Amino acid sequence: MSLLTIPRETLVWLMVAQVLVILPHLAHLPLWIVALWLGCGLWRVRIYRMQASYPPGWLKGLAMLVVGAGVYLSHDGLVGLDAGVTLLIAAFILKLVEMRSRRDAVVVIFLGFFAVATSYLFEDGLLAGLFSLLPILALLAAMIGLQQSRLFGRPWPAVRLAGGLLLQAVPLMLVLFVFFPRVGPLWSLPQAQTRGTTGLAEEMAPGDIAELSQSGELAFRASFSGELPPRAALYWRALTFEQFDGRRWARGPSSHVMRAPAWTPQGAPLDYSVVMQPSGQPWLFALDVPELPGGEAQLMGDFHLQRSRPVEAALMYRVRSWPAAVRQPRLPQSVARAGLQLPAQGNPRSRAWAAELKATHPTPQAVVEALLRHFNQAPYVYTLKPPPVGEDIVDGFLFDTRRGFCIHYAGAMTFVLRAAGIPSRVVVGYQGGELNEAGNYVSVRQLDAHAWVEYWLAGRGWVRVDPTFQVAPERIEQGLVEAVPEERALFDDSAIALLRYRDIGWLNDLRLKWEGINYGWQRWVLGYQGDEQLALIQRWFGSVDYRALGAGVVGALAIGMAVLALVLFKPWRNVRDRQREGYARFEQALARHGVRRQPGEGPRAFGERAAQRLPERAEAILAFVRQYEAQRYAGQTADSVALDRALRRVCRQLRWRAARSRGE
Amino acid sequence: MLSELEACLTRINAVLLGKEAQVRLAVTCLLARGHLLLEDLPGMGKTTLSHTLARVMGLAFQRIQFTSDLLPGDILGTSVFDRDSGRFVFHPGPIFAELVLADEINRATPKSQSALLEAMEEGQVTIEGATRPLPDPFFVIATQNPANQGGTFALPESQLDRFLMRLSLGYPAREAEKALLMGGTRRDALAHIEPLLDHTRLHEIQAEVARVRVSDALADYVLRLVEATRTQPQFAWGLSPRGSLALLAAARAWAFLDGRDYVIPEDVQAVLPAVVGHRLRERADPTGLGGGTLVQWLLREVPPL
Repeated sequence: MSLLTIPRETLVWLMVAQVLVILPHLAHLPLWIVALWLGCGLWRVRIYRMQASYPPGWLKGLAMLVVGAGVYLSHDGLVGLDAGVTLLIAAFILKLVEMRSRRDAVVVIFLGFFAVATSYLFEDGLLAGLFSLLPILALLAAMIGLQQSRLFGRPWPAVRLAGGLLLQAVPLMLVLFVFFPRVGPLWSLPQAQTRGTTGLAEEMAPGDIAELSQSGELAFRASFSGELPPRAALYWRALTFEQFDGRRWARGPSSHVMRAPAWTPQGAPLDYSVVMQPSGQPWLFALDVPELPGGEAQLMGDFHLQRSRPVEAALMYRVRSWPAAVRQPRLPQSVARAGLQLPAQGNPRSRAWAAELKATHPTPQAVVEALLRHFNQAPYVYTLKPPPVGEDIVDGFLFDTRRGFCIHYAGAMTFVLRAAGIPSRVVVGYQGGELNEAGNYVSVRQLDAHAWVEYWLAGRGWVRVDPTFQVAPERIEQGLVEAVPEERALFDDSAIALLRYRDIGWLNDLRLKWEGINYGWQRWVLGYQGDEQLALIQRWFGSVDYRALGAGVVGALAIGMAVLALVLFKPWRNVRDRQREGYARFEQALARHGVRRQPGEGPRAFGERAAQRLPERAEAILAFVRQYEAQRYAGQTADSVALDRALRRVCRQLRWRAARSRGE
Repeated sequence: MLSELEACLTRINAVLLGKEAQVRLAVTCLLARGHLLLEDLPGMGKTTLSHTLARVMGLAFQRIQFTSDLLPGDILGTSVFDRDSGRFVFHPGPIFAELVLADEINRATPKSQSALLEAMEEGQVTIEGATRPLPDPFFVIATQNPANQGGTFALPESQLDRFLMRLSLGYPAREAEKALLMGGTRRDALAHIEPLLDHTRLHEIQAEVARVRVSDALADYVLRLVEATRTQPQFAWGLSPRGSLALLAAARAWAFLDGRDYVIPEDVQAVLPAVVGHRLRERADPTGLGGGTLVQWLLREVPPL
């Protein structure tokens, strides 16, 4: 029974672990990986049953090339996160067939651990985290099976031991989680392509928002330290669109200004923290007017928050908002120009109507009110499926179809306001969200995406106005789904599931609880880094910085190891044994001359062998061995001096020989 | 004393050619007051060895051929009614000898086997209510044939444990066998061997052997060996305290034969295979005879220092 072969139990656990490792990756792996695994697993089993032999070198090379080509074709290249992970998994699978010795099995096991770690790049939810314990358990069991004697190898004890090991690791894990400094990435990892595909974008045509509104995917959650504000007050600003080219709205110059315009806080502030899902975009969501104590982001010229890097992992930030603040009471020329920008031509009926409004109403405020009244009283319909309009989309919407959703209303109103000489812009973001009273937080989903209008009034600054509210107040008060009850078929699965069970009380409660748990996970586990970590540790230990923290962690580990070593080795129990030490030095002296004692070799047998190997030193060697034997076994009184003398003689002679051989 | 023993060894070696190591171990076993189990094919010199040993040591020799119909009475002796005196008179069996050769011990039924083994352990036999002491020294050499196991009763482990050593003689070397072929019949030589010792002398030597010094360091080595058999996973079970005592006794005798009055680790190593080989089993094969690899492992891995 060779020590090098892989025990059956290890193989079984390794294959189980492989399935468990690959399972969470399936969403982004090409399907042929499954076929590859089945083939390799079958081959491995046949090798184990001695029905097949190990693959020859040329076949391994070929498999490597084919897999490389497959990855290239599936992912349009070999670079990038998806392609890299696919390559890793493919290597993990191919190694299964190739492994012969225990060493190979260890390589496969560590590859498995690495593959488990990469799965966190794609999915960092609570369930995914819990699931990943399974492959880790199986890999540990395989590793244990590898180290156990084959006589003992049974699969279940290995798993029990692995589970015990995992449990024992929990305290260490907690300590590391709390204290280990989070090091920023040394290089930027290309993100998974599934990220950042939903959400608001730099510029949007009406259809984009409609599409967004059909997704039940989470955008962010916000928990308030005080009471939850009413739903209708929750206008989460993401971006402003100032430029209109006749078809699409896009960001204007002031949204690129890196300096916040003047504003005066008024009224009571709102304190809340936001845990944002990765959006792939650099802007953050907040209520007006936000202040970020952490300084993670900059308040831009149009009052939106922007970060230097895109949000590619769940991000937590604290905000203080002043909803009643007066924003930019004095409008600079450039901003005013941008707020009045219109395409040179098009939409003549709207322009005419704007001129008429301006003529009949003395103040800008009256114009706005007239517009809102118009939206309220004319037969407008709120729908996610607006009929197509002609070349002049504003005209077509305002006068012909009168069917549309938020961006249509906001866009049309902004157009008319601008045409009437009132600086205004479209704001996009999210409106409302699902209030979770128990957890005092709001979950905002993509279907809460919204667009509204703000216009500028001398003295009052920018004023928010929402034309959608006039058409479909239930959109603001209850949410999108209630606003378009007959268009449910449009929503995607997650949104549908959300709707279907909303009316079953206990199920909805359960869902909200689960949401709460997930949110806690995001907020306290994933969000625990950077300032959060420092803040917590500083609360316990006073002011520390990362360097002190790192030194502390390393120092604590070292002290822990030292204590463990003391407990395990109990040095105070070791009585000093001079004879044994003397013999050890004797062995060292001889080892320098190439004579080494076998572990089971007795003192005399070794001495005699050494004397044979070094005949000219035989006398000194045997004299020492005699002396040692007499003191250690023959009951002569211990005489370390005599033993030392004999030892010195051996060492002298041996050194002399070494010197002479060097001289030759 | 040592020279007498050397002379004994030389004389035995003159009869049993080329088996110096086994002869030395057999004498060691005798000096350590242990019993010897010889395991070998027929015709390898088992009987010759025991016979020569008895002759040279000046011991009264008896041989019991174990067969399946052997009764305990055939070993221990029986009381026979004597018509003249009108009483039962005890006729001692062949066990009342100083050196008993129990030939093919595994052919007898367990009942007869245990009659012998009890006598070996107790040094006395109880027959019909009367306890009769066995001669001192009392030395049993049992033989068994590893092949042709049909119709045999293998000795259980508990009884194997009562033998201090198990030896196997093995085929002779080429030169030894040639000398054997060219020489006269060995049986004649055997008949003419003069004893070199008598049982009082042997008694004195055995007493001397028991005084051979065992130092702390050496006892630690024996303990390490025993510990290894009890903790390492490949051993089906560990050595008993009787096993460790046997190991030390044999090592003492070996050291004495080597002319020392103290034991060194090499003595323990020299007797280890013979003393513990039949007491150990591999866990993977608890019924087999795999003690040999375990002993090699002990010799190789347990640090003697």
